[in-house]
Order: sequence, then structure tokens, then C-alpha cells
Amino acid sequence: MRDAIRRGFADFLNYKALHGICVITIALAVFVISAFGLFLQNANDLMRSWKEEIRVIAYLTPETGPAEREGIIADIESYSGVGGVAYVSGDEAFEWLKAEIGSQTALLEGLTDNPLPDALEVSLSGDIDGTASIPDLADKMSGLKGVDDVEYARQWLERFDGIYNLFRLTSMVLIGLIFAAIMMIVANTIRLILYQRIEEIKITRVIGADDTFIKYPLYFEGIMLGLAGGLAGLLLLYAAFSATVPQLSAAGLLVYFQVRFLPWPLVLILILSSMAVGWIGCYLSIRRFLKF
Amino acid sequence: MRKMLFDPERTIIRLYEVSKHFGDTDALVDVSFDVCRNAFFFISGPSGAGKSTLMKLLYLGERMSSGYAIVDGMNLSRIKHGQVPMLRRRLGIVFQDYRLIPGKSVFDNVGLVLEVAGMSSRKTIRERVMSVLEKVGMADRHDAFPPTLSGGEQQRVALARAMVGNPSIILADEPTASLDIEAAERIFDLLVAAHEEGATVVITTHDRYLLSKGCTGRAYLKNGRCVATEPHPEGMDI
Repeated sequence: MRDAIRRGFADFLNYKALHGICVITIALAVFVISAFGLFLQNANDLMRSWKEEIRVIAYLTPETGPAEREGIIADIESYSGVGGVAYVSGDEAFEWLKAEIGSQTALLEGLTDNPLPDALEVSLSGDIDGTASIPDLADKMSGLKGVDDVEYARQWLERFDGIYNLFRLTSMVLIGLIFAAIMMIVANTIRLILYQRIEEIKITRVIGADDTFIKYPLYFEGIMLGLAGGLAGLLLLYAAFSATVPQLSAAGLLVYFQVRFLPWPLVLILILSSMAVGWIGCYLSIRRFLKF
Repeated sequence: MRKMLFDPERTIIRLYEVSKHFGDTDALVDVSFDVCRNAFFFISGPSGAGKSTLMKLLYLGERMSSGYAIVDGMNLSRIKHGQVPMLRRRLGIVFQDYRLIPGKSVFDNVGLVLEVAGMSSRKTIRERVMSVLEKVGMADRHDAFPPTLSGGEQQRVALARAMVGNPSIILADEPTASLDIEAAERIFDLLVAAHEEGATVVITTHDRYLLSKGCTGRAYLKNGRCVATEPHPEGMDI
């Protein structure tokens, strides 16, 4: 195996032009797929942050005292998907309403009592499922003693969830298609390289090489090509990211949203995947060259 | 040809009614002859007679359509895919067009044979390769690449590659066809030297100059048939 790696490494350096073309192809492929991944990741972050903005309001009965209220808060905080619970008294809500309607406060002048009940404003954690979990959560909250009614933006939520699910599904299909297309391109590029070396493979066969002697260095070369291409593609993406994102932030286009680069685990997965693609490309191509 | 008793001590190659067809074309028809161990053997005949096809059958570059052939104890009609490399490691093959790997140096082209054979000691490989390159007069060009060499030099490297594994048989397919007389003479002398060191040498050629040299045996092919054999097992005159 050590000899195979040594020969594979020597050949990798020996055919600079051929391997350069292959590395560029893989680099561009990795660039495209990781750029798409970068977009998806940040779009997902954006969706998450929107989801965190969703509020479920639990209105309390007038009889609910502070001790009972604290018990309700503790119960709600223990439910999964709950990011936080804030108490909003009826008076605070009334003041907020007056501030919201601004110059039209005259509308409220006829009221002798504050009609707004005390309420608990429940914010959600980003990982909660939309339409499936929020109604369940609302039902559980309705069942608590001291909770009069529960409200949330059901229609908005359903629409948001529809968009989010469509986005996720489309992303997965697109990633699958791009990956398949890239796999074919890389496999064919490696096949072209092997065609260029077909005479060398034939000669090596004629002097007595068995399949293993020919295959293993080529597999190693495929893995090296994948590694070099993967690193080059990610470096290219990082350079593009570093060059554009600060400019967009400076121009005020990313005020409400922090764009981040791919996390290390994903970078590692991309590099390992491109190495795997290099190996698979070799594996698929070599079989037909071992007939000689 | 009447089927003779096969003595592996004496006979290193036996062909018996070997035929090769490419579609409707008969490249070889019922070719039979023996090559004795340590022979210096010519396969001659005009262009298109089937000499190169016969050579390919001997190293299993092609499979025969019918008949049987034994090469250094291996029955080529029954040999499995996985055994082909073992057969080829017993052979040293020289081609008319040299067939060196252009992207590898002279040293690496020759050393590859030893690596293929499983030798891993870089020191031993170096010693063996340099020794054989000395013999063919190419030691000083060991780090050159084949495209930078003349035809005669490339053929000497090819011959070094054929000899480095100490094969029992050297198959040389028109080894001097692309060379001038001086280079051809040198290649022929090297083949004689390999024979003197114990190898059986089988040369296909239609070169009258080469054929005028002595040999221990000869087969003459015409239109894919072996029309004459001339064994001289007792001695050689070269």
C-alpha cells in the first residue's frame, strides 16, 4: 500500500497539466455546490430568525394571582419549542395600545376600565416545527388553569410554513441535482485523464502489472485530485465571501441579518465529499481500462 | 503437424494448430512449431503474414481463437485473467515502436518492471536498473525522458526494460524495423548478449539483414500459415 501511495503521489506531481485541469474542474464544482450551500445556510438562518419572531399569547383570567401566574409560566417554559415567556400586564398592554394608535387616543377616552387582560407572551425557539407543533403548544397552554384564551397568527403561520417547506424541498432537490451533475462532470474529467494515460496503462499491463498495481495508485490520485479541488474550491468561495460580504454590510444591505461563512463541520464534509467524488470517479472509470 | 511429446525441460514454447480470426479475417491458421529452451529463434515472413499477431498471442495481448499454446509451462488456452500478469513477468517484450512511457524517465521506465514484480527495495532496484542500463549503454541518460532520445536509444531502453527482470523469454517484435543499420546492429548484439546470459530470444522480423545472422531456429509465416520451420537445436551460429 505504501508503494501504491508513493507511486500515486509521484504520478500526481508528474502529470501537472492533466491533473491541473481536473483540479480546476473539481474546484469549480465544489465552488458552485458550496456557494449554494452557503446561500441555503444563510437563508435557513433568516427563516429561523423569522420563526423566532412568532409569538403565542396566553390571556389570563382576571382571578389569576401572581403565585398562580408564576406556576403557569414555569409550566409553559417546560414545554419543548418554547424560547421564553414574558408577562405583560393589562395596564402595560393598554399603555402600549395607546402608544400604537398615537393621535387617535381619543377613541379610548370613553373607556372607564382597562378592558385588556393580563397576558403571557410566549416566544418560540428556532427549532420548533411550524404548523405541527405550535397548535399543539397552544392547546396545551389552553388547558392550564388560569389561562382564559390562547391566540397566535394561525393564517400567517400556515403561509410561512408553506413557504418554508417549499424552500426546504426545492433546496434538497436542487442540491441532489447539482451533486449528480457535478459527479458526472468530475467522473468524466477523470475518465478523460485516464484516456490520456491509456497507453501508459497498457504498457504497464504488458510488463506484468496486475489490476491492484494499476488501480491503487490511480485511486490515490483520484483522492488527491478531490482533496486539491475541494480545498481550491472552498478557498475560492472564502475569497469571494470575504470580498463581497463586508461591502454589502457597508452598503447597509445586511442590517437585519448576519451573514456567516460555512461552519467547519460542513467545510470538512465538503472536502471529504470531493475526495470521495475523486475516488468514485476513478473507480467508475478504471474498470473499463483494466480489460487490456 | 503430428502432435509431439512435450518435454518442458527442452521446449519453452509450443504452438499447436493455433488460429486467430478477427471477424471473417484469418490472421493465423493452424500454426504449429516448438521453440527450444535457450533458443535464438526468428519468426519471419512478409508484412501482413501474422508475425505480430503471433507475438501478441504469446504474451496474451490477444487470445487465440483455437488451438493451444504453452509458454514457459503455462497453457495459454486455459490461463485465467488473474494469471496473465504472472505469464508476462516471465517475459521481456520489445516492440518495434519501443512503447516507453513518455512521462517517466529512462530509470523509471526500466525500474517499473521490478516494481511490478513486487520488488520494493529502492536500493536493489537502483542497482539492478543501473546495471542493465550500463549493459545497453544508457546509464548516463538514466534521468532523460523518452521523447528526448533517438530511436536507437529508445530501443536500447526498451531492451533494458525487457532484460531487467531476468526473464526466461525475450520476445522482440520487429525490434530493428525503425532503426538505421548501425543502431540495428547494436540492438541485435544486445539480444545476442541476452541469449548468451541464458534467455530464450524470439524475434519477429522481415529484415533481410537480421535474417542473414545466425540463429538456432526459425519459422516462416505466409498468409497466416506457418509454411516452414527450421530447427537447429544442437548449436547456434551467430
